[in-house]
Amino acid sequence: MNAVYDVVIIGGGMSGMMAAVTLAGKGRKVAVISKGDPVCCFSTGCIDLLATGGDPLEGIGTLPDNHPYHLVGKDAVAKALELFRGIMSEEGVPYVGDVHANRGVLTSLGRRKTTCLVPETMEFSDFDPDEYIHVISFHKMKDFYPQYITSRYPNAGHSIFDPGVITTPGIAEKFENRPFLESFLSWLGGLDIPEGRIALPAVLGKSLAGDVYREVSAGCGRKVFEIPTLPPSISGLRLFGGMKNALLRRGIDLYWGRGIYSVEKLGNRIEAVTLTSQGRATRVEGTAFILATGSFVSGGLQASMDTVTETIFDLSAYLPGGREGWFNDDFFAPGHEIEKAGIRVDASFRPVDTEIENLYVCGSILAFSEVMKYRCGHGMAIATGVAAAEACGGLAQ
Amino acid sequence: MIRTDVIIIGGGSTGCGIARDLALRGIPHCLIEKGDFAAGATGACHGLLHSGGRYAVNDPEAAAECIAENMILRKIGKKCVEQTGGLFVRLPGDSKRFRDTFLKKCEEVGIATEELSPSRALDLVPTLNPSLEEAIRVPDCSIDPFRLCMLNITSSQKRGGQILTHHKVTEIIKEHGRCVGVKAREEATSDCKEIRGKVIINATGAWGDQVAHLAGGSVPITLSKGSLVVTNHRITNMVINRLRPASDGDIVVPNEAVCLAGTTSIPVTDPDRIGVDPAEVDIIATQAQEMLPGFGATRLIRTYAGVRPLLKADGGDGRAISRGFRIIDHQDGLFSILGGKLTTYRLMAEQMTDRVMEVFGRKTRCRTAELSLEGQEELSGYPLSNRLKTLEGIVCECELVTADTVERVAGQVGARHIGDIQHRTRLGMGPCQGGFCTYRALGIMQEMGKMTPEESMRMLREFLQRRFKGIKPALWGDQLREEQLVEYIYLGILNMEQVQ
Repeated sequence: MNAVYDVVIIGGGMSGMMAAVTLAGKGRKVAVISKGDPVCCFSTGCIDLLATGGDPLEGIGTLPDNHPYHLVGKDAVAKALELFRGIMSEEGVPYVGDVHANRGVLTSLGRRKTTCLVPETMEFSDFDPDEYIHVISFHKMKDFYPQYITSRYPNAGHSIFDPGVITTPGIAEKFENRPFLESFLSWLGGLDIPEGRIALPAVLGKSLAGDVYREVSAGCGRKVFEIPTLPPSISGLRLFGGMKNALLRRGIDLYWGRGIYSVEKLGNRIEAVTLTSQGRATRVEGTAFILATGSFVSGGLQASMDTVTETIFDLSAYLPGGREGWFNDDFFAPGHEIEKAGIRVDASFRPVDTEIENLYVCGSILAFSEVMKYRCGHGMAIATGVAAAEACGGLAQ
Repeated sequence: MIRTDVIIIGGGSTGCGIARDLALRGIPHCLIEKGDFAAGATGACHGLLHSGGRYAVNDPEAAAECIAENMILRKIGKKCVEQTGGLFVRLPGDSKRFRDTFLKKCEEVGIATEELSPSRALDLVPTLNPSLEEAIRVPDCSIDPFRLCMLNITSSQKRGGQILTHHKVTEIIKEHGRCVGVKAREEATSDCKEIRGKVIINATGAWGDQVAHLAGGSVPITLSKGSLVVTNHRITNMVINRLRPASDGDIVVPNEAVCLAGTTSIPVTDPDRIGVDPAEVDIIATQAQEMLPGFGATRLIRTYAGVRPLLKADGGDGRAISRGFRIIDHQDGLFSILGGKLTTYRLMAEQMTDRVMEVFGRKTRCRTAELSLEGQEELSGYPLSNRLKTLEGIVCECELVTADTVERVAGQVGARHIGDIQHRTRLGMGPCQGGFCTYRALGIMQEMGKMTPEESMRMLREFLQRRFKGIKPALWGDQLREEQLVEYIYLGILNMEQVQ
């Protein structure tokens, strides 16, 4: 099988999906190839822009000169995030927040995580510590222990509901079942809870988040919010689900669960890639290619004992010194040096140190992105995904 | 104040073995351990129940002890000894003369050997280097040192033995020149206890000299650090040794769901300040790769180091020193038991207990070699898949540990720390190294009221630091992927680093 596209995107994470939507919006014929479901499925579903006390968008100016955000520019970052919000609203997973102000969300350990845009189910997570919150937990749920929260907030209460299952996805699925939801609501209604907010782990429906959430809020007549949990994170899966639906709605071809078997080059251009397959080989041809395979965790970069390689095109990757220097001794210290590893690009997101002309790079595979240090993961992915798509749009015409 | 006959300091295999032996001979005793059982060399070893082959050429006396004890332990400890068998593999370039000596010495000390052709060896372990010249089969086994200690302690507890873990001996009380007791401080509360006894046994391994000093004595030991790496799966189902004089990285041992490869031998002075050097990992990985070519592409999930307390000899490096043991009578009521190996722990305990019996003028004979270890009925044994029978409510997916098991073990006396749970259940010892299940186990212990949320949070922090320290020297390849994920979870999703 042979398929021909204007742009072929390798990597189905946040940056690759945002690049795909952007290009489809320009009328380009786009394919997205992904080895599996992306890391955003493991995330909170919140969009971190930059963890800073002040205005996160303005904070971009304080980042080191080589940070990929600078290649996008503040205005374009803001525009990209608006595009993202528009897409997710259309898919029924609306986001709230302001790119000029960070907000907090409560974590399963009772900490406040700094983020920027949050799904509507976490809108009320940024509460005043004096306000009463009532935590709902689930009997024997293995990834949620409410005492971590109630012990930090003396003004908090706690009730336990028995859903009959103990895993996060199992409980979330139950919430999509009407009789279950009704029995939960009637149990909740029977509790004598002081005035305040209701918090519960992110299990209010696997895909129908909005519906279940709104029904629970209306049912108890209070401000309700969800708390993101350990992977499998339902709020992360909703983010991915919304984006994937947006891609399908735009007629973008998805090659899911497929790796890259070989790359064909002609002169200074990539002509096509052949995908791994159980059956007949699939050859995917493109005018331009976007590399959005992510960092180590996603498999875009691979480290050996002493070097780092890029796994699809064997691009030369920036390496921060020898292995002894890759990590801090302290697990909790912000940012290990190895986070700087990645692909260096020029102003139009093309990799430096290569002759290839029709390749663009975006997302956390970019060198110097340091997403854990700056807490800019999804924000950087969205911004560079859109920007790389803009940069290659002309070429692919 | 606690009054007893014998005070054992140290909860490694030797101390636990002595406690069992004393219990079976009806002698009241109290064991004091500053951390948890098996916290020193016992828990940081290869988990290899030696056939003795490794020592046959250079240390035949230790080899003879090993094979005798091996045969005893596989009988009395079915649920903590996995009878994997072992191979000594000769690769191109390895001396044939050494092989001849090896076979001769093995025969002399009574280690059964079987010479295998390369193809027969590859049938048994298909991941072996296909260019091997030959392999010699020996009765090596894999042993779980944590379970071994717990089972020995069970016999003691059943007969009224007093066990104080997380208690550090700060003073040895002397009256009229004789040691009559100790003072011990509880780690969590800093409460001091006084324990009085007639005989004190120093079974603290690498800490032996420090403890002897408390009574004004000293012991002739030399400390040698050995580092190991853990693979994410069983790359071999048999113990693999290199058929050549003992050197770095020449043994790979299957252990439940993983393999342990090592070791190194580096002189150290302070047993509390050891770590694994990335260069050691490179040596072990390179050497293991020669025997098992797939090793280089295998994910290394953890490194750890232990300190061998070796008997001081004149000259020679760590590898040349005998693995034998010695009992020192300090002539003031204090005995120190030194050297030895995990494999010979029972024999060491027997001889130590014999000395105690002499002191008390009693004649009850040792029965630890005849009676099975008690408490094994609760264990699932081998293979690991036996545990699949109880699939309900699993919290540690790698080692198949259920919430009920965590609750049961947390309810046992002395289980206060996450480490206590991990050692007793193997929770967190598999491929994810506790990345997911530690949070869960701590949550369960906290719900049981075993600890406050603050304490459990502190333990989670300490656990993650310790875990990272162990993973860092071998952090590349797929393990780096896993590590980045764990970082995303704890620092990202849970936002753990911000101290508020």
